[in-house]
Amino acid sequence: MSKSPNRLLATVFGAVYLLVGLLGFTATSGIGFFDVKGGLLLGIFEVNVFHNVAHLLIGAALLIAGLSSIRASKSVNTTIGAAYLLLGIVGLFILNSAANILAINTADNVLHFGSAVILLGVGLGADKAVRAHAAA
Amino acid sequence: MSVITRSWLSFAAIGAGVIHLALVISSPLAVGIPLTVFGLAELTWGVLILVKDRLLVPRLAQAGALAPVLLWSLLTVTATLLAAPQIASSLRFVPMGIAALFELFIATILSVILRRRSSDGPAARAPKAPGAVRYLAAVIVAGVLVGGLTTPALAATQAGSVAMEHGGTMGGMMDMNMPGMGH
Repeated sequence: MSKSPNRLLATVFGAVYLLVGLLGFTATSGIGFFDVKGGLLLGIFEVNVFHNVAHLLIGAALLIAGLSSIRASKSVNTTIGAAYLLLGIVGLFILNSAANILAINTADNVLHFGSAVILLGVGLGADKAVRAHAAA
Repeated sequence: MSVITRSWLSFAAIGAGVIHLALVISSPLAVGIPLTVFGLAELTWGVLILVKDRLLVPRLAQAGALAPVLLWSLLTVTATLLAAPQIASSLRFVPMGIAALFELFIATILSVILRRRSSDGPAARAPKAPGAVRYLAAVIVAGVLVGGLTTPALAATQAGSVAMEHGGTMGGMMDMNMPGMGH
């Protein structure tokens, strides 16, 4: 696994997102599932219950893919990266609006955009040689 | 060229492309069309150099990276000389400045690569592939930098600032005083 950037990234990001999803519940007591105003995780990132559940699902998907195979981790990294890119852009336009059902703030947008670039970059760019080698 | 360099170029191109496309919304047609072309070209090139595993059209990409910076400078100088700030007012400083940083980075790296290619010749050996941990560390640093620079740039576009200033009011449309509507 340590030779595949995709598996390594999916496993590390999966574990981090699972941890963030669990920690998020410490910041969302008394906050509704879709509340547009959430609690602050680590004093920076705004989250509500829906946001925590999304983190848990994304973390689980990444971790399972990372522990499974290169092909699975490559697909999941690319898919979640593309989804985060979309969310990073859409997130800018829904801040402070009723459509902000994930309680996104600016720090979340930075994190989403950064995650998108990393996941997409590794998903699209890495592990080609490994795959060709395995197929040979 | 190593996969790390290609990833950094790709991320910078994607960052610049997204910023240019976000600026289209607030721009007049004459500025919006070139911005759309630049934004789409940067996004496409950024994704393709990762997917295709090689540097595509490096000389064209170098010229394409410098073109928006030169056009922005030209517009700003023209606006200053003619005392007509509205000519360049749609191109806000923060997003254009950050996009220019990305473009100058791309142009500089491409210059170094092209110079090396011309001095080493076509028989130059491909660099050794980096280890997974080194590659990931480099990609994560680039991702954090691009994310940290692109988000404030997008927030400083008119589209982003209107959305934040007038949240919950249809992006500000509901706050407008309409002439002849009884105000």
